[in-house]
Amino acid sequence: MAFINLTNLTYKYPLTETPVLQNINLQINEGEFVAVVGPNGAGKSTLCYTLAGFVPHFFKGELTGSVEVAGASLLESTLDEWVLNVGLAFQNPFNQISGAKYSVFEEIAFGLENIGIPREEIKVRVEEAMVRTGIRELADRSPYSLSGGQQQRVALTSILVMKPKLLVLDEPTSQMDPIGTREVFGVIRKMAEEGMTVVLVEHKVEWIANFADRVVALKGGEILLEGKPNEVLTSELLSENGFGISRYTSAAREAQKRGLWKKKQLPVTLDEAVEGFKS
Amino acid sequence: MEVISQNAVYFVVVAAIMILLFAWAYFTKRIQKDFITMTWVLIPVAIAINLTIGQIVLLLKLPVYLDSIGTVLVGVICGPWAGALTGTLSNIIAGIILDPGWFPWFPVAAAIGATAGVMANLGFFKNWWKVVVTGFIIAIVATIVGTPISIAIFGGISASGSSIITAFLLETGRSLVSSVLTTNFISEPLDKIATSLLAFAIIDGLSARYLARFPRGENAAVEKGQKQTQLIIALVVVVLLILFGIFVLPMLTGG
Amino acid sequence: MNPNRSFFVPVDSPLHRLNPLTKLTFVFAMILPAFLSVPELAPILAIPVFLAAFIGRVQKPYLNLLLKLILPTITFMFVMQSVFLPGGETILFMLGPFDVTQEAMRSAFFTVTRIFVMVSSFALLLLTTHPSELMSDLTQRGLPGQFAYVIISTLQILPQMQAKAQTIIAAQRSRGLDTESTFLKRAGSLVPLVSPLVFGSLAEVEERAIAIEARGFTSKKTKTSLHEISDTSFDKGLRWILVILILASVALRIWLS
Ligand SMILES: Nc1ncnc2c1ncn2[C@@H]1O[C@H](COP(=O)(O)OP(=O)(O)OP(=O)(O)O)[C@@H](O)[C@H]1O
Ligand SMILES: [Mg+2]
Repeated sequence: MAFINLTNLTYKYPLTETPVLQNINLQINEGEFVAVVGPNGAGKSTLCYTLAGFVPHFFKGELTGSVEVAGASLLESTLDEWVLNVGLAFQNPFNQISGAKYSVFEEIAFGLENIGIPREEIKVRVEEAMVRTGIRELADRSPYSLSGGQQQRVALTSILVMKPKLLVLDEPTSQMDPIGTREVFGVIRKMAEEGMTVVLVEHKVEWIANFADRVVALKGGEILLEGKPNEVLTSELLSENGFGISRYTSAAREAQKRGLWKKKQLPVTLDEAVEGFKS
Repeated sequence: MEVISQNAVYFVVVAAIMILLFAWAYFTKRIQKDFITMTWVLIPVAIAINLTIGQIVLLLKLPVYLDSIGTVLVGVICGPWAGALTGTLSNIIAGIILDPGWFPWFPVAAAIGATAGVMANLGFFKNWWKVVVTGFIIAIVATIVGTPISIAIFGGISASGSSIITAFLLETGRSLVSSVLTTNFISEPLDKIATSLLAFAIIDGLSARYLARFPRGENAAVEKGQKQTQLIIALVVVVLLILFGIFVLPMLTGG
Repeated sequence: MNPNRSFFVPVDSPLHRLNPLTKLTFVFAMILPAFLSVPELAPILAIPVFLAAFIGRVQKPYLNLLLKLILPTITFMFVMQSVFLPGGETILFMLGPFDVTQEAMRSAFFTVTRIFVMVSSFALLLLTTHPSELMSDLTQRGLPGQFAYVIISTLQILPQMQAKAQTIIAAQRSRGLDTESTFLKRAGSLVPLVSPLVFGSLAEVEERAIAIEARGFTSKKTKTSLHEISDTSFDKGLRWILVILILASVALRIWLS
């Protein structure tokens, strides 16, 4: 059985008429790194909240179908149990600062204190996690004094340190520069290789092509397409449906029409494009 | 001295009431439902709103304090207990960062939040005129709770501007209790009605989707009605309250 | 206004090293006797508070606070109460139509010394104890973790909101806000000043709630604490002594009456 099982998942926020997620069926295996793409309002964040248990436990509303993660059923679990298995970090880093702590080190320890990890273990784990995400030197800074990109790393580290089985990330690098983004994607990839399952919403498709195992394309609350990153991200369906696509893909598609791109597979990243045009 | 024995009685009574209320609160299920994470996260924001608006109002030299808008807001959308807690902590924080002289007033702040919550539960936070009534009730409660503190801790005359009124009333031969009580009756309603109306304006500006996240969001469902009729009713209510203040209070406080 | 979140002065002193609860007990061992015991005790209690400020090596900021915050207020109160408090036989002198009696002055003196003791002993606690240390300690002793969350979070949010308020006020000033203009104009300028602050900060609440709940804020497990706060047997002994002093002072008052 798959690690994540979404069966006929349909969800409506309270006080609304139309479902935001419609009849979603999706299986994800343990250790898989799955990226979710979609235009604005497609329901990507809502899907993240569902995997993380906040839909329906926090947002209420109407959920039908079933959500299973690590053998547990969402509707039969409480949120405080659920978050032990599933970590969530999202876009706006400022709002993710707990506010209860004066230093980055303490901020990252916040989650571990809450779930009753012994003091000595907390120190070791926080240290480890900070080294991993490259923010060791921020340890004594105030979380509020950091840049947006640094705050995003702190938010990610605060979740990683809790060692969730499933990591759900909703545009976690939106305020980072390309170097920072590459580093963070590297960290996430490594976590997946060590067995953590990752679901990531991301607009930067080139990074997805480089790092993810699979891509799910969401539109109007439904899964439009899913499969290997290169196949999904270069599909004509995506450009027809208003998804953001890589400029290398559009360039190569244009070139293909004029007979300048010979390969069958269109590129997503710069490297693939360069290589394709060379041959 | 008479004042000293009032102190002892006051301390014991306040401590006993607080302990009883909190013990009761602790064992009641409904209260646990009021203290969800949204409530815990809202309270610091509400306290910051209290103190920041309080300072802006000082800067604008308006004849009100408006330092409990956040407390009233929490009382309405998270329930009386959360309101009381917000008021209490607001005074503790003000004591920590502004002036420790805020500490002794915490029962007043707690009473403001609790009263706002109770009135909202009774449906009295849904349109303008009902909010005016709520503001007035809050003022009465604040007066009742504040007067003994003012007398027991601060000797009845503090450094605030309204002490001038107290001093004047004392000269007319009234007792200390009566003078302080009357001063508060005169100065509180304007402030608390304005506070409640501003809290209502904030709630009116928040989306239904947002309010629904809070434990008592339904308290804030603004009644749709003729704006004009409501305004007229509000005016009538204010006039009645003023008349009440002029004619009934002097009798109550023993002239 | 103190924009720096708190009065805390980070130096090393015997007082700084005391357990926060011990210092809190000290505060109450000053305040409760000041208000509950015989009035003559209040002026005497100012002495241990004063000495403690030296032990805590915070005498300078402490005196600063006294001069700027506490003394002006209580002096004003003392004058007001001496003049206006009714009653008393021994008229010392007349001030216009008001008589200043010895009894009123005596009563005013004891009221302000009590307030002095209350405010300055609290100030001393705040000068020598970081708020997060105090909250950690109380949490470890069983205060629900949410209280620590609210206190610390407020102390961090408030300076930010005040900074935002400064920016908005400056912007409105350049657009003609005048804090000296007519009452109606000043009252009318309140809404444009506060609404961006209020709605902006309320909008953050939902995501912050999600973020901390994702990190186990509502976990039913017993919370642990990153920092260990020392509680020596000296601390424990001192607390007992202070509690006994409180009881003794109240007993003294009952015995004398
Ligand atoms: N709390 C809520 N209550 C009601 N409707 C909501 C709520 N949150 C989101 N929606 C609606 O649900 C739909 C999907 O929103 P969602 O945030 O999941 O989209 P998204 O794919 O993450 O978009 P974006 O790319 O802008 O982040 C939108 O139409 C949005 O307006
Ligand atoms: Mg989104």
